[in-house]
Amino acid sequence: MWAYVAKRLLLAVPVIFGVAFVVFAMVRVVPGDPAQIIAGETATREFVEAIRKDLGLDRPILQQFASFLAGAARGDFGRSIRSRAPVSEELAARIPNTVQLTIAGLLVAVAVGVSAGVISAVRPYSWLDASVMFVALVGLSMPVFWSGLMLILIFAVRLSWLPAVGTGTLAHLILPAITLGGATAAIIARMTRSSMLEVLRSDYIRTARAKGAPERTVVNRHALRNALIPVITVVGLQMGTLLSGAVLTESVFAWPGIGRLMVEGILTRDYPVVQAAVLLVALAFVFVNLLVDLLYALVDPRIHYG
Amino acid sequence: MHRLLVVLATIVLTSALGFSAAAAPAVAPTRGGTLIVGSGTDATTLDGHLYTDSPTATIMEHMTETLYELSPEGRVQPRLALSHTVSPDGRTWTFRLRPNVRFHDGTTFDAAAAKFNLDRVLNPATRAPWRFLIDRVTEVTAVDSTTLRLVTNAPFAPLLAHLTHSGLAMQSPTAIQRLGADYARQPVGTGPFRFREWVRGDRVVVTRFDDYWGEKALLDEVQFRVIPDDGARLAALEAGSLHVAVRVPPREIERLRAGRDPIVRIDTSLRTIFVAFNVTRPPFSDRRLRQALNYAVNKRAIVQSALAGTARVSDAPIAPNVQGYSPVPVYDWDTDRAASLLREAGYSRERPLRAVFHHPTGRYIRDAEIAASIQGLARRVGIELELRTLEFGAYIALTARPREQNDIQMYMLGWGTVTGDADYGLYALFHSSQWPPVGFNRGFYKNDRVDQLLDRARVTVDQSQRNQMYAEAMRLIAEDAAWLFLHSESQVTGVRAAVQGLIVHPGERVMAHQAWLRR
Repeated sequence: MWAYVAKRLLLAVPVIFGVAFVVFAMVRVVPGDPAQIIAGETATREFVEAIRKDLGLDRPILQQFASFLAGAARGDFGRSIRSRAPVSEELAARIPNTVQLTIAGLLVAVAVGVSAGVISAVRPYSWLDASVMFVALVGLSMPVFWSGLMLILIFAVRLSWLPAVGTGTLAHLILPAITLGGATAAIIARMTRSSMLEVLRSDYIRTARAKGAPERTVVNRHALRNALIPVITVVGLQMGTLLSGAVLTESVFAWPGIGRLMVEGILTRDYPVVQAAVLLVALAFVFVNLLVDLLYALVDPRIHYG
Repeated sequence: MHRLLVVLATIVLTSALGFSAAAAPAVAPTRGGTLIVGSGTDATTLDGHLYTDSPTATIMEHMTETLYELSPEGRVQPRLALSHTVSPDGRTWTFRLRPNVRFHDGTTFDAAAAKFNLDRVLNPATRAPWRFLIDRVTEVTAVDSTTLRLVTNAPFAPLLAHLTHSGLAMQSPTAIQRLGADYARQPVGTGPFRFREWVRGDRVVVTRFDDYWGEKALLDEVQFRVIPDDGARLAALEAGSLHVAVRVPPREIERLRAGRDPIVRIDTSLRTIFVAFNVTRPPFSDRRLRQALNYAVNKRAIVQSALAGTARVSDAPIAPNVQGYSPVPVYDWDTDRAASLLREAGYSRERPLRAVFHHPTGRYIRDAEIAASIQGLARRVGIELELRTLEFGAYIALTARPREQNDIQMYMLGWGTVTGDADYGLYALFHSSQWPPVGFNRGFYKNDRVDQLLDRARVTVDQSQRNQMYAEAMRLIAEDAAWLFLHSESQVTGVRAAVQGLIVHPGERVMAHQAWLRR
């Protein structure tokens, strides 16, 4: 198993390297000049040139890439073009927020999604199934900037139960977690339902029922556990996505996470911030994927990595 | 039944009377409390010499001060300076500075500190974006502790107005020297509030400075929160999580006015929105076509519909509270004149004038909707405009290309004359020395007489003479139809009813210096 982990980590190196290069090239290909953006719309040409030189943007691109890699290897991503603060500090300020929101959102998503999926699968094609799946479809189709605003209007503006936006207390986390978890819950619910339906039709479930196991045990122990593999895959993918920042949710709830940092970085052509953030996200993705694969073995003892 | 009505009417009347009595502003200001201001973007840097954006300016204004200030009414008045004299040749300016002023870290503010700050801005290595405001200053001398002398290489009339710009703020020399690059995260000024914390992407907090030299602030604390989404910011205001929300979407004004709290206030801004023509390339090298578009577009209707009446139709290239402004004859809506000018230039409905119109989306209030209205109005007189929009960073890069590579025909932009002086608005936008890539004259306008007037107004110290020169220059610019003149924006701000004494400055800054919260 450890050999497998080592192999996977080694394989991640070219992936990360590739991502680094693509991002590095991409931010530079996009029109728009960071020097011009820092200098302001009203700056003179000399001033823009001077800033370009400060930033090292006048050097050949491969040379820039080399010094970026050298810095990254030491954990030094340079300073943000815009705020002039170390990029590592900018990221460090956002990571806890993103992790918090991801975990809270996933908790909501898994709790709601798996239960809804199981309920639907146990009573397939009933009115219960239909209504649960209808709600899931609505949840999936609703853009978060709309559903988020609706939640704010209802729970903060009308009822004054929860704070509208911002961070700080657990209460601040509830609405963004529901918004974010809602959309993901819908995906998980549909996945759980179809996976459960398939498992419930299998022979060993019939055997379990035949030997007189109570329905609750059949569903929870025998069926759900076997149906979870594809669900874990989806949850893993969603986790990677959420870790890379839920830009819309973050914007609506004024949540200072990685997603907003990246989008602001792109809009202001803050190359060092975008590069470092994308690299971090790629790392998170690789790591979560590995975690998911290891989790398979935990859920299903038939799978093991030798 | 009747009796019930009488009772009801009495209740309604007395409560109405009670309400109007409560609304009378006879209440004495209360001290203390925290004011929370929501804006769309985070501060970029808290080094007062290095930022370019107005959300940061709002925050810095509470902590730092300048030698002069621009009052909300547009007057230049002393702040950290007390008075000034100018030598007869107009090149040596001597300032008497306010004594007994201290920075938040205890450092004394004196002529040496003022010199340190101006020298820092002037030093090209600082990369201060607002350096150009004072780049004609060749020498800064601290004569004694309260006397500062500036020498310019030529007479430079806008100097006082430029010294009001918050990008030339006085910051503690000790702190700047001690902290180096980290100064940008813990600024030290002389203002009524001092820095407390900056949580990236979330908030900047300032607290009252009790040793402030002037009238002390009433609030204990002001928080500047970042809430990027316009709708969410407004919702947070309505939920009471914020006291002030900037940039309320115009379509929400009507709804908010129906309620009593929050209140919508509309304040003027120094920002003018326009469409510039590239006058060096066909089709708009033909003045008649530029004029035709000016006649074709009903600016009043655009302001009424797209902006819910919150803007002011332009009657000059600069906004009214800019020093040097005077109204000039511009183009009223007249489709017949537009049609006849088009005919003269050889166009008709069968052979319509076609042009590409570039505009930003989301940068200025309802910019994309306004562009679409212009397109619709132009079509009525037989001008077919094709709309093209780009993300703002790319947009700016595209419009800033030098003339040989610049094939933009017409494009929408905004300009805030943040110094409050016409020189900054007109010189950068219309002087032929300011063609890209050097400056901001991105339509490549050139009129020798206008150049001459702008040059002279820059070195003339007498303000009434300057005003005349600017009036003539603006008249010529309007005659040439260098722009499709649109409007000056207003700032639409949502404020909780409890907030008193708040100023929304035309330079797009919310000022809570003397604000207080009614209990």
